[in-house]
Amino acid sequence: MENFEPVIVAFCCHYCAYTAADMAGSQRLPYPSNVKIIRVPCSGKVDALHITKAFEKGADGVYVAGCLDGDCHFKNGNDKAAKLVTYVQNYLEEIGLEPERLEMVRISAGMGDRFALIATEITEKIRKLGPSPIKTVAA
Amino acid sequence: MQNTNTLQTSNRVLVVGGGLGGIRTALDLAEAEKDVILVDKAENIGGLMTQLDRTFPTNNCDLCTLAPNLSESGRQEHISLLSMTTVQGVTGEKGNFTVSLKSAPRYINLDKCTGCGACYEAFPECVRFSPGLDHRAPTCMRYPQAIPQAYSIELDKCQDIEALVKSCPAGAINPDDLGSSGEISCGAIVMSPGASLFDPSGIDYLGYSEHPDVVTSLEYERILSASGPTSGQLLRPSNGEKPKKIAWIQCIGSRGLQKGAAPYCSGACCMFALKEAMVTKERFQEDIETTIFYMDMRTFGKDYELYYQRAKDDFGIRFIHSRPHSVLRQPGAEKLEMSYTTDESSKLITEEYDMVVLSTGFRVGDDVRDLALKLDIELNESNFPVHSGLNQIATSRPGIYVAGTFQGPKDIPETMVQASAAACLAGKDIASPKKSPDDQPLLPPEKHVVGEEPKVGVFICDCGENIGGVIDVEALVERVGKLPHVVVAQAEGHGCSRESMDHIRSTIKEMGINRVVIGGCSPRTHEAKFQDLIRQEGLNKYLLEMANIRDQVTWVHALQPEKAVKKAEELIRMAVGAVIKAQPLVEHSLPINKNVLVVGGGVTGMTSALELAEQGFKVYLAEKSPDLGGIARDLRKTLEGDDIQAFLGSLIEKTMANENIEVITGAIIVDHSGMPGMFTTGMQVGRQMFYRQIEHGVTILATGAMPNRPSEFMLDECKEVVTQIEIQTLIEDQPETVRQWENIVMIQCVGSRTKENPNCSRICCQNAIKNSLRILEINPDARIFVLYRDMRTYGFQEEYYQKAREKGVIFVRYHQDNPPQAISVDDKVEVTFTDIILGKEIVVTADCLCLSTGLVADQDSTEELAMTFKLPRTHDGFFLEDHVKLRPVDLPVPGFFVAGTAHSPKTISESLVQARAVASRAQTLLAKEHINLGATTAKVDSTRCASCLICVRACPFDVPFINADGYSEIDPAKCHGCGICATECPAKAIQLMQFEDDQILSKLEQLFEEVVG
Repeated sequence: MENFEPVIVAFCCHYCAYTAADMAGSQRLPYPSNVKIIRVPCSGKVDALHITKAFEKGADGVYVAGCLDGDCHFKNGNDKAAKLVTYVQNYLEEIGLEPERLEMVRISAGMGDRFALIATEITEKIRKLGPSPIKTVAA
Repeated sequence: MQNTNTLQTSNRVLVVGGGLGGIRTALDLAEAEKDVILVDKAENIGGLMTQLDRTFPTNNCDLCTLAPNLSESGRQEHISLLSMTTVQGVTGEKGNFTVSLKSAPRYINLDKCTGCGACYEAFPECVRFSPGLDHRAPTCMRYPQAIPQAYSIELDKCQDIEALVKSCPAGAINPDDLGSSGEISCGAIVMSPGASLFDPSGIDYLGYSEHPDVVTSLEYERILSASGPTSGQLLRPSNGEKPKKIAWIQCIGSRGLQKGAAPYCSGACCMFALKEAMVTKERFQEDIETTIFYMDMRTFGKDYELYYQRAKDDFGIRFIHSRPHSVLRQPGAEKLEMSYTTDESSKLITEEYDMVVLSTGFRVGDDVRDLALKLDIELNESNFPVHSGLNQIATSRPGIYVAGTFQGPKDIPETMVQASAAACLAGKDIASPKKSPDDQPLLPPEKHVVGEEPKVGVFICDCGENIGGVIDVEALVERVGKLPHVVVAQAEGHGCSRESMDHIRSTIKEMGINRVVIGGCSPRTHEAKFQDLIRQEGLNKYLLEMANIRDQVTWVHALQPEKAVKKAEELIRMAVGAVIKAQPLVEHSLPINKNVLVVGGGVTGMTSALELAEQGFKVYLAEKSPDLGGIARDLRKTLEGDDIQAFLGSLIEKTMANENIEVITGAIIVDHSGMPGMFTTGMQVGRQMFYRQIEHGVTILATGAMPNRPSEFMLDECKEVVTQIEIQTLIEDQPETVRQWENIVMIQCVGSRTKENPNCSRICCQNAIKNSLRILEINPDARIFVLYRDMRTYGFQEEYYQKAREKGVIFVRYHQDNPPQAISVDDKVEVTFTDIILGKEIVVTADCLCLSTGLVADQDSTEELAMTFKLPRTHDGFFLEDHVKLRPVDLPVPGFFVAGTAHSPKTISESLVQARAVASRAQTLLAKEHINLGATTAKVDSTRCASCLICVRACPFDVPFINADGYSEIDPAKCHGCGICATECPAKAIQLMQFEDDQILSKLEQLFEEVVG
């Protein structure tokens, strides 16, 4: 458990969160390498299928990162994503997975520091939760 | 030099100088479909920037992004590049100049040279290929992206000419080359020859000539550079050992202090030193000590103050406010000895350093001065061009414009802005050549890859130190080469350099590759470039994936190289997984609407509107308030003495009179839709709030900033306390009041550079100087105290600071943690402050306390606009540009531009430069007939569609509808490509192209390949 390195998938929208991740890079703000980013045009593009597949394959945590409230490039994709995340959280609970392993976050393009902070906080949270039970069963 | 004698049309612009600025001017004009001749005296273009390792404030190398653009086929038709060429003379006038040019012999035929290097290997002594091995003379440096990609010969050094000619497999060497001279015609000239750097050899107490460990900042940059004399290893020139303590000394050759120093401030050196110290710290962490000796830290640019704070707080760089007395080395000693005193005591402190870096400032080179004289443009006493009034870009000779460090000392972002502005002005002096449909670049037909076995090529960049300095690229290449479907994996150095791009192309061809993965930087910045590359090789643009192993791996995990390499491998595996599922896609395009919406009717908005209207575009100028003019209505004179009201009056008159401009005052933007080239913006207008919609192709934001008004020092409580704007009005309107004042105190940085508002307001120091000088003009006996933290009178403003000191204005420095105190006593204000040098508290009874409160973003309006237009803002509410250096006035949403104080605080003449720069950038879009909408659109599989209407309701833009056949239909021209319908479709009948489910799932599968398997 002590050496547990969680694998975390971050679905990041192209316009805000992904840009913020690049910004963290250009400002050389470190965050844990456990976070793997998958770029999507809008956080609203993230499907329940993608999230559950990530857990099925062995992700210890997943987060969907969209624009700040009201800032969505596509009007309200981020709000739709937030609703979907809540829905999938309930579903995770039903199948016996901690819903905290999934999270919705909001970051604007200029917030490289916030991106690094969130990545660090979520990694620490998942590290405390321990490995995903799905992985334990599969192993 | 080909055929220039026969090209006699004056319908084009001559750009002199192929540095960063000249390249930008040429590209802007070419993209606006105008013809350019770009001449550079050097063998390859790139200028000073090619010698820099990294550039602030992003601390990466950007030449890689800029230079290869020049070779892009679509632009080549408009730019002819003449290297090793100088201007001999100019006759004629605006619209019809005749310029005589002289090209030095290269002895190499550019059309034949492939840059293979065979001649250099055989005859290194006579081939110019000096990668800057002598750290004192970093000239002739060849960088991997050199354009033209060719060597040059120094024939006089060659012993056996015949053998040299034979050494070239391409037969490109021509010893009979005599160079050439000829005349060309052009309608306008842009001068961007750049600046030289001060040579500190003449200042004996700095020991530059005697001690090899005393270097200039550019030499230090070369030492840090991977292509430099030590291959990027930081070593002391004297003994080749790693230094432990390094000091920077600022203002060498600037601010008129030493022998031969210039009177102005060089503007960029503070940031330059910060960058060098930060890069040094970043590489060596605790192992190295860095100290900067400064007079005033001048970090006045956008977010530069934050950079300074990071240097101080996060990187632990030490700052000492002092000018060192001497740099010595005792006989036999290894280290340099530096003596200095500090503010707090007069005691001489001596410290030992391994290296000392001199921050040398900008100079106009003798060759540039001679060139300017040949062009007959007027120069000031420091040999910079004299500009007319508020237009920095125009010289004394109509039709000749100036940009970059020759205009005045400045950094890269400001050079880029001026370069675009110069393109705007020069482009106006010539007509656009008519384009025929045959001008389209020819591309090979697309290969059919559907149904073919995927054959993936993986190309991984080291990006110099950026990636290669953290992870072992070769080892990574070996590992990913074993992945299924990967037929070739190779390291590519700088993947975006022309050499690597050619290499990637030939590999695609030879190996029959049908899908490509680039492991390098962000797809946000480079995807388009690599898409173009594979398209040129006959592959559909969408058979490409980029693994962002720089911005999102090596830059953030530099301290954990093992984890970085693991993550890089995972990202590449994911990209390979996605690219094998990729399908060729078709792009959609639509005609562009050539109208322009300018939001904000201040000097910036009006200037942009006029520049575009005069080029024939219809402009809607929307202003929130009932009148045009903005903040300039409250301003009287500039520091240089220009009459702002007279300027503003004539600007308003011209704007109102121009028939291409429709001024809409009292306009509040309420909604916005569409895409670049076809926007629709709704606004409520006038007292009745009439709703109207405007259709336009581009949007320019020039919404300005607001005077800050913090509740400090009894502002708004005590009538003797005023702001700089208010004191200026008093000076002009009530001189009799000002004449009665005995003591005036000004406090700088009120409400700026604080915890709440950490940035510098840029304009306040020069404002304080301006108003002090004006007060002394009408009341020579007044005693003026300026309490400051750092005087930031950059560039030529420094000369006015000098003048204010000569006239007796008393400048007293204060620390942020010990600010001045003020209390109201009768009709006066008692100001108490500590004089650091005297170490004493001083009380001044002032008739007027003037606060330098600066500018802040108009949070309410920028927030509203950012929400409506979906634009990002900085922490302090200014609009955030797409790239601080390369695209300083382009916003991240295509078709949007920002200028003036909506970008960051700046002076009027600086705002005008940006106003013209956005006009130029807008023309690069408006010159096109069609706009490409890309291929990322949603597609319905009608066999799966159950016509459930979920997509119809989910789409934020109401695009899907149920067609006559009873299935959902999505018009690709209207689709914005968010993919929300694809997510919500219960039957999974909708897929978003380029982000199909199988591609995303394949990424996940690849990521967890090892974890589970």
